[in-house]
Order: sequence, then C-alpha cells, then structure tokens
Amino acid sequence: MINQSARAPSEPAAVTPKFHFAHHFDSAQTQFEANKLGIWLFLVTEVLLFGGLFGAFAVFRSWYLPAFVEAHHHLDKVMGSVNTVVLICSSLTMALAVRSSQQSKKGSTAFFLASTIALACTFLVIKYFEYSHKIEHGLLPGKLWHAEGFVYPQAKIFFGLYFMMTGIHGLHVLIGIGLIGWAFLRNSRSEFSSSYYAPVEGVGLYWHLVDLIWIYLFPLLYLIG
Amino acid sequence: MADTAAVVGAVEDARGTNYLNAERGIMSWLTTLDHKRIAIMYLASILVSFAIGGVLAMLVRLELLTPGRTIMDADTYNRIFTLHGVVMIFLFIIPAIPSALGNFLVPLLVGAKDVAFPRLNLLSLYLYWIGGVVALYALVHGGSDTGWTFYMPYSSKTAAPVISTVLGAFIMGFSSILTGLNFIVTIHKLRAKGMGWFDMPLFLWSIYATSIIQILATPVLGITLLLLVAERLFGIGIFSADQGGDPVLFQHFFWFYSHPAVYIMILPGMGVISELIAVHSRRRPFGYKAIGFSSVAIALLGFLVWGHHMFVSGQSPVASAVFSFLTFFVAIPSGVKMWNWLATLYKGSIVLTVPMLYALAFLFLFSIGGLTGLFLGMLAVNVHLTDTYFVVAHFHYVMMGGTLIAFLGGLHHWWPKLFGKMYDEKLARIAWALVVIGFNATFFVQFIMGARGMPRRYYDYLPKYQFFHAFSTVGSWILGAGFLVMLYYLLISLKNGAPATKNPWGGASLEWQTASPPITENFEHEVEAVHGPYDFEAALKGNR
Amino acid sequence: MHTEHAVSAHDEHVPHVLPLSRYLGVWGALLVLTGATVGVSYLDFGTWNVVIALLVATTKALLVASVFMHLAYEKQKFNAVVFLSSAVFLATLMALTMIDTKSRGLNEEIEGARPKVVTQPFVNGVADIVGKPPAVAPAPADAKAAVPASAQSPAAQAPTAPAPAAPAPAVPPAPAAPAK
Repeated sequence: MINQSARAPSEPAAVTPKFHFAHHFDSAQTQFEANKLGIWLFLVTEVLLFGGLFGAFAVFRSWYLPAFVEAHHHLDKVMGSVNTVVLICSSLTMALAVRSSQQSKKGSTAFFLASTIALACTFLVIKYFEYSHKIEHGLLPGKLWHAEGFVYPQAKIFFGLYFMMTGIHGLHVLIGIGLIGWAFLRNSRSEFSSSYYAPVEGVGLYWHLVDLIWIYLFPLLYLIG
Repeated sequence: MADTAAVVGAVEDARGTNYLNAERGIMSWLTTLDHKRIAIMYLASILVSFAIGGVLAMLVRLELLTPGRTIMDADTYNRIFTLHGVVMIFLFIIPAIPSALGNFLVPLLVGAKDVAFPRLNLLSLYLYWIGGVVALYALVHGGSDTGWTFYMPYSSKTAAPVISTVLGAFIMGFSSILTGLNFIVTIHKLRAKGMGWFDMPLFLWSIYATSIIQILATPVLGITLLLLVAERLFGIGIFSADQGGDPVLFQHFFWFYSHPAVYIMILPGMGVISELIAVHSRRRPFGYKAIGFSSVAIALLGFLVWGHHMFVSGQSPVASAVFSFLTFFVAIPSGVKMWNWLATLYKGSIVLTVPMLYALAFLFLFSIGGLTGLFLGMLAVNVHLTDTYFVVAHFHYVMMGGTLIAFLGGLHHWWPKLFGKMYDEKLARIAWALVVIGFNATFFVQFIMGARGMPRRYYDYLPKYQFFHAFSTVGSWILGAGFLVMLYYLLISLKNGAPATKNPWGGASLEWQTASPPITENFEHEVEAVHGPYDFEAALKGNR
Repeated sequence: MHTEHAVSAHDEHVPHVLPLSRYLGVWGALLVLTGATVGVSYLDFGTWNVVIALLVATTKALLVASVFMHLAYEKQKFNAVVFLSSAVFLATLMALTMIDTKSRGLNEEIEGARPKVVTQPFVNGVADIVGKPPAVAPAPADAKAAVPASAQSPAAQAPTAPAPAAPAPAVPPAPAAPAK
C-alpha cells in the first residue's frame, strides 16, 4: 500500500541499520540529494525572513546613526562576544556530529549532539541574563519602554529591532535544541549510519544557519550600533 | 529524447482500482501521502474558499448598487471587502493552480510516483486548513477593516481583529512555501529517464518559476506580518511615525512579497494556457524555450518592481522613478508569451473545445489586464489612476480574467483525468459564455469609472457613477449565474458523467499516457519519456 | 542539470568525510576572526566601521558555509547557487528600499529652491525645468510651499526630528482610505 511504503524509510530493522530509500526515488543517492536540496531551499526562506529585519535595521541606522550608536553602548559586548564564541563552538560540535554519523560512529555522534545542545543551552542562559538586565533598566520594546537617560529618543527603535532580531533568533535556537534532541533520540535508536544520516545533516545545516545569522547579528547590534 | 521502445504500454482505462477508490474511509484521505488525493482535497478547499470570496464579492457589489446605504453600513462594508480580498488572495488564488492542479499533475508530468516530499505535501495541506480557520475566526469576530493590504498606521490602531487575520495569512504562507519547495525538488530530482529540462511540458517551467517566487518572497511577508503583530501587541514602533518609525517601510516589506505574489498567481495560469493551446490546436508551442525562459524571467524581474504600488504613498520620487522604469521591463516576457501563443495557434488544428474557449478568453482578457498595468506603471498617469476603480479593474482583469480563467480552462481540460468523467459540453459552453460576458460587464465599466475619478474601497459615491456601479452589479449577477451553472454540471458529472478515456484530447504529455483516473502509483511501469510532450503523432502511435 | 541516469536500486550514497583537521582549522579561524572583529570595534574608522564589520562577518559566514555546511565539497553545485541567491535577493530588498529611504525629502529640497506657480508652471520657459531659479518670486500661498516639515534638511539626524517620511500635509494620503 502506498501509504506504508512511503513512510519513514529509516524504520530500523534490528541492530544493523538497514536502510531502504523511499519508493518514489530511484536510488538512495537521489533521495540524499533531494533531501539536501530541500533543506537548502528551506534555509533560503530563513535568510529572507531574517533579511527583512536586517533591512529595517539598515534603513533606521542610516537615518538615526547617533541614536543607534548611543543605544548600542547599553548592550553588553562581553556577553555578546561570549555568546558568539559559544555558538561557534556549537557549530563545530554539530559539524563533528554529522561527521561521526557519516562514519557510522554512534557514540561519537551522541557525544557531539549532546555537546551542541549543552552549548545551545548556554547561549540561551547568557541571553536570559542579558534580557534580565535590560528589563531591569526598562530597556523594553515599544510601549513597555521606561528607560531614562537617553539623549536620542530613537533608541526605542534600536531596541525594538534588537528585541525582534535577538528574540526571533533565540526562538530559532530553542527550536534547534528540539531538533538536535530529536536527532539524538533517533541516533540512540541506531537509525543512522554511513548509508543514511540525512536527518543529522539536515539538522546540522539548520544549526549552522542559526550560527550564521548570529555572525551577522552580533557585530551589527553589539559592535557598531 | 531517448529512442528506446516505449515502456508505457496501453494501460486499460482503470474502471477498476484507481487512486480515488484504492482506499476507503475519511482517515485514508486525511492521512494520505498520495499527491493526487492531496490535490483533490486542495481543490475542494479552494473551491469552497472561492465560493466564500464570491459571496462576499456579491455583497460588495450589492451594496454599491446605489449610493449611500443599500444593505449595510460603512464599517461593515470595510470588513466585507477586506475579507473578500484576504479570502480570494490567500485562500483561493495563490494556492489554486499550484496546489490543486499542480499537486495532481507535477508528478504525473515528470513521470514520477509522487512528489519529492509526500509528508511535507500533507503538512502544507494541513497548514492551509489551519491558516484558513484562523483567518475565518477573525471573520466571526467582525473581520479586519483595514483592506487586505493592512497598511500602517491604521492596522496598528484599529480595534478590529487584525492579529488573527494576519496570523491566518502567516500560517498559509508556510503552506505556500512548502508547496514551492516540494515542486522545485521534484522537478530537479524526479524527472523520468529521457526527460531533460527542455523535454518538460511548459506547465512545469511555469510551476518551477512560481516555486522560486514562493521560496524567496513569502518569508518577507512572514516577517512583515510578525512585525505588524509586534506593533499591535508591544507598540514596537518600527512602522509608527510618532515613534520615529516609517509607515512606508511597512509598504516596502509588504509589497516586496505581494508584488511577486501576483506572479505566483499568474505564472501557473500561463503554464496552463501553454498546455491548453498546444493540445487543443495540436501544435508544438512556438518558441518553447522562449516561453520557458520567459517564465523564469518574469519570476526574477518581478522582484524588482514592488515600488509601483507605492508611487503616492510618500515614497521618494527618485525611488518611484526607478521602480517605474523597472516596471516596464517585466511586461516584456509576458508579451513574449502572448506572441508565442498566437503563433502556436496560427495554422494549428484548432478545436473549439471548452478548454480552448477558456484559453482564447484568457488571451483576450489578460491582454487587457496586462496592458492596463502598463498605464498604471507610468508614474505620471499613476498619480491620477491610483486608488481608483481603474486599479480594481486592472487587477481583476489579470487575476480573474487571467488566472481564474486559466484555472477554469485547466480544470475543464484535466477534469477527465482527475475524476475519469466527462462533463456536459453544452452546459459548459453556456457557463463559459455567462462567465466571460458577466466578467466583462462587471469590470470593463470599472476602467471607465476609475478614469473618471471613482475611488476604490469607497462605500459611498457621487451620483455620476451610479450608472457604472449598477451596470457592474448586474454584470456580477451574470457572472455568479455562470459559476452556479458550472458548479451544477461539474458536480453532476461526478455521478452521471460519461466515463473518460485515457486521453480524450489527444495530448502527448505523460499524464495522458496513463489511466483516467490514474492508479495510486500513477503509472503501471517505470516511466521513460520516449517522445516530447508535444509530439502528438508519436503519442497517438504509442497509445494504440 | 542532466537527467538522472537509470541506477540500480543498490546505488548507495557514499558520504564524503572531511578530515578532522579541516574542521578544527575553520573553528580556529572563526575564533580568531571573532577576536579581530571585537578588537577592531574598540577603534573608530568612521563609516568604515560597518564595512569592516561586514567584511569580517562575511568571511566567517563563507567559512561556515563552505566547510561546516559542505558547500565547497558538494557535487551538486546548485545548492550553493540556491544559497547565494538568497543573499542576492536580500540585497535587492535592501538596496531598492534604501534608494527610497535615502532620498526622502530630496525632491522637496530641490523644488523648494525653485518654487513654482502651480497655475502657471512654465511661465519662464525652459528655465522652470532646468537651471537657475526664475526671477519672478512666486506667491507664498501656493500648495508647493506648504511642505514645511520635509523642507528642513531631512538628512540632518536631528535628535528630536520625526522620521523624514512622516506624512507632510501636502503629500497625498496613504492609499488605503476606507470610508467610514
């Protein structure tokens, strides 16, 4: 029946991961390539999603440069830099997780996936401290703003954008943790091997994009204002 | 084209098992991974949406029959036309051809068993339903009164349920993205042996171009709507002038999606027309590569012109001039297609079947719609015509006279394939006539009204426009009657229609080489494209 | 982009595994570049700040994309095209939007310097379209002069100035004007 054969081709059979590709593909290689192309197309949508925010940032920075420079000094460069390092390390562990699953090394894959989750959680914890500090000082988005001591009122625009950009990015980190956790679970059930590791690679690509977005977010928001 | 023997043998008309009766029960439909079943569910959904949008349209036109109050007050009127726009655009026209016809046909046309990601396909259907329900929840709570464009600052201040309307559109956007993603990968990776890029039916080129737009443009709408929600919830201020923000920036982001969105609407329609004209005049399309490339050109150029919706919004004249200049370029590929279709018809063996009638109507109506777009693209003329009924007439000519007519033509062309039944030809011709006459009666006078200054979205109007409005309203009744006749004979055909053969029109593309309706796996054997999609003689031989 | 050749059902996918040193090398480079961009941020290069920051960020992005995301080693070059196209279209969005936002008020500046009598726009012939302001001083009560807000230098980022695009009275209203 078509429904059953089209379901997850990676339903594990016993211990050795015996993989059969889905019935509508002509080979495992085609399925692998199709999966990758699909993930890349999805990443394009993510780039355009964040792109709108970067566009708004560019427009307002060009109009209100002094306001943005003043506002960005209220961001904690140290915490931002630490978070950048954390994400870069998580990218490394994620890439190594993919590499391990390419080599059918279940244990290493598990280790690296878990490390990535740990680093991602670290990122969120640091973010939590950053946000708490902002909330304390009334640096909140929009109508919740009650901060004092700003020369330029357009600081509100800066922080509106800051919260939208880092907020949506943080949401993507959270989703990423969920996805990596899912890959971890499937790996622990011996579903991956060198013939089939597409989910790990897919999650990895997503995670690297989350890192990529932060690579642009960090200097623009924290370093140059 | 490979020259090995055809492996697609004479498949008997599957009066026995086909995708419709292979499994029974509602759960088998709701959890299906069969692209054909998903397409049928989409088809039913978009037709229901069209009916809802149509009823709303009839209410709008009824209100405009006389100046002042006819059947509703001004505030209700705002909500009704907003919902008409939201339903027609997000619930009907954007998904119509890609998700209903495309989902059914794309795997058949490439010779595959299914799309690349069948589960994503089912997910996109669910997202469409969920988004629709969320948007209709807004309707129950009064509906948004901002117009489907949700312009700031009004959309952040009105008490109407903007957030639920907008969230509905956001969710449906994901449905659109997943459909586009699926089609791109399917066309790249699942083409049958022997089918190169230039052996594909032109419908696939247009679907491919549409999918590119869906992937690139829809996320920007997503972030725009999210920012609008943030504006309403937190007063973020990015689009509010009193906070230092810019309402025109909202329009930039909104139209960055919504202009390419109109190409999402029309490109699949153009693909359908290529198929209809080729098959029903039994001629290989003139300038195949030109038509194919022009689809991609429209998709790409369409991203450069969004500012032509904003000439009078406060956008700087420098930018307006740039956008006006770029707008003229996007008309060129459409022109290329028109000439190629006409050249295909020339010396073709034209049969005036119902699909061909729709194709011919398209050529006429889309020409009017497209040309009037050029009037609007001219910066100086736009200042007079913007936000008048001229614009309303223009976009109804391209969306309805263009996309809807193409959709109906495609529906009538592929109906035998989808359901294995033929519909009543005579009733179909009557409905066609009512639709075409009714459409022109409704909208042509709106060009005149608009040029004479009647503004759009206005509840009340000066007595000098009364005749035009009344004429237009009566036209809408004729149009509605046409659709009712169509609904009748199409539904009746499902029960009483003559059984359709494998290839009632003599087409040469792969969908006509398998049973009507097809079996669940689409083809009995592994498919090989032994002749081109417009090689009608070879297809005839192969079918014996 | 050629058609898929008929493959046997046993066409396995053989993964392309990169050496560990490659990953560690990129990781090291990323950390160094991060340090560099933070360090540079303590210096001020004026308008070049943005350029330097973006150049460093792009270098890091290319490293992540080409090695961690395998784009440099893909057989399917199309994936890289897909990803790059997103950058191209994002650039289009930003560029065309900024053509508008950077030139707001420019028109009013130019026209403000050469006010016209609306009822007799070409009273001075070609001079009304090009060149110096006309000798005739126009009536100040005409509509063109009533664009006060944006006639101030819009490029000045005065701290309390409203956004340059704040709808000035003479500018036609925003298109959606539902009748109430």
